[in-house]
Amino acid sequence: MFSLVLQNLWAKKGRSLGIAAAIGLAVMTVVTLMVVSTSLETAAAQILTIGRADFSVAQKGVAEVLNSNLTNRDLQNVRLTPGVASAIGVYVATENLNADNPIFIEIGIDPSDLQGFGVRVLSGRPYGPTSPHEVMLGWRAAQNFGLHVGDQFKALGTSNTVVGIYTTGNSFGDSGAMFPLPVLQGYNRVPGQMTLFFVKVEPGQPVVKVQSTIDRTYPGMTTIRTAEQFGRADTNLVFLRAAVTSSTVLAILIGAVIVGNTMLLSLFERTREFGLLRAIGWARTRVVGLVVGEGVILALIGSCLGLLLAVLAVALLKYVPALRGVLHPTFDQSAFLRGLATGLGMAVIGALYPGLRASSLRPLEALSRE
Amino acid sequence: MSDSRAALAPDTSDRAQSVPAVQVRGLTKVYDDGLIQALNGVNLDVGHGEMVSITGPSGCGKSTLLHLLAALDVPTSGSIRVQGHAVDSLDHPNRYRREVVGLVFQLHNLLPRLSLLGNVEVAMMGSRRPRRERARHALELLGEVGLGSLAHRHPTQLSGGERQRVAIARAMANDPTVLLADEPTGSLDTASVHSVLSLFVKLRAERSTTIVLVTHDSSVAEVADRRIEMLDGCVVKDNQPASVPRSGGPDRP
Repeated sequence: MFSLVLQNLWAKKGRSLGIAAAIGLAVMTVVTLMVVSTSLETAAAQILTIGRADFSVAQKGVAEVLNSNLTNRDLQNVRLTPGVASAIGVYVATENLNADNPIFIEIGIDPSDLQGFGVRVLSGRPYGPTSPHEVMLGWRAAQNFGLHVGDQFKALGTSNTVVGIYTTGNSFGDSGAMFPLPVLQGYNRVPGQMTLFFVKVEPGQPVVKVQSTIDRTYPGMTTIRTAEQFGRADTNLVFLRAAVTSSTVLAILIGAVIVGNTMLLSLFERTREFGLLRAIGWARTRVVGLVVGEGVILALIGSCLGLLLAVLAVALLKYVPALRGVLHPTFDQSAFLRGLATGLGMAVIGALYPGLRASSLRPLEALSRE
Repeated sequence: MSDSRAALAPDTSDRAQSVPAVQVRGLTKVYDDGLIQALNGVNLDVGHGEMVSITGPSGCGKSTLLHLLAALDVPTSGSIRVQGHAVDSLDHPNRYRREVVGLVFQLHNLLPRLSLLGNVEVAMMGSRRPRRERARHALELLGEVGLGSLAHRHPTQLSGGERQRVAIARAMANDPTVLLADEPTGSLDTASVHSVLSLFVKLRAERSTTIVLVTHDSSVAEVADRRIEMLDGCVVKDNQPASVPRSGGPDRP
């Protein structure tokens, strides 16, 4: 039957190509959205893995994690929680440095916490605890700007001396800069405010239990250990995921209607053929299989086309100024599988009704149609 | 009737051979809530390997009778048995049409995008024949109808008579014991009519296929060894040979 399916599609090349293109566009939309959202999610969640912490703590339910507002009192409370070995408070901000670096990450951290945070100074020295014009650059940022120890780096509206180059072992952290905590807080006019706490648990203590204690004791705070838990502190991410899921469902429905309509038109043209197949003994399921089989082949072609278009679309999106430096897309297996599932879903849903209609034709009536 | 696959296999036992291949009793068919009476208590027996023509004017019910024999429609009342199968109460009419009877229509109804081989093979899809065996059998059948060398051509490259011969090969694809043909020569020229009729005669002779041939053309009907005439939904004349059990007979003198 496979060869019959191929011959049927080949006989109406233009129409087949049209359906495949429609499926391809829907798949492209879904995959592109998914890759972009995953990329943004990964970039945002990377901030959690900068330090050598067991988990992070943020303010609960803020639109985005960078708006998290934690205080010294909160930090003390976390430090006093049973099972907590240490907790480091950092302030994280972004600055639009220039067109090439619209979202440059700046981390405010006390120099005494650098080691505990997992920061290793590669050259130079750490800044002073309150030095107003000293900065340490991540090695990626230093490489990007072509700066070395002793050079000047313009940020926070002033010129700062690069006193050290550091690494955190995390590309997100290594692409930013670190400032004394009160200096970054002062520049952003949020004295005493912190964005995240990085918590280490005492040896032998179950991390989940400590997390649970903090979550339960301090309802205004939330603990985050994985990228999936990131949504607790960043509702934007939740909305983004919901938007991608909605778009996928919508794309499947719209695509299914397009596929269904086109295949229904094909059904009217091939009424005699289906009547004949029924008359010579084809079972209903076989007729449904023939029509759905045509849909599945179109879905596979459309999905391949869509995935190709998605790769091109994402490559182009990297050059959109608002996304420059933020979007680090990776096409993983799940993106491809979701694209394929979208295409197949559209085709099967779209072809099922025409297939059932074709299978329920009365042979005599169908054969008498012109 | 059992709906198992085995139940539809031709019954070649002595007992099966002793009953007619086709047995119709009190068959009626009405349309439009009784306004149109297409068949009116038809009784008919067709013996194994017999070639029967059914003639009559348009609207006499001959095509309706054939459609009921083919399980393409259901009777209003009466019974039909073909090769022992109760056609009026089939659970799987599609399986019956695939395994017990072969159908030939006035219009060949070949699929234009398939080759001749593909058109014959398509009837075997759903049967237990392996794919390679299907192709071999289709080629063999095309050879039997004299079109073996054209197996890879498409229907549009053939004459009307050749197309109808392919349709006959398709009808024989699953080796049915009964062939039902509805006006098979209705749209053919004289030369093609002759070649198609010769094929029916050959099939009956070589395969002992029971053939029921519906036609409005009395010259075509003459090729059959038994002629049945219908009028207003009744059998009015049956030149039944003595060898066939006379359980039915004409409904109207």
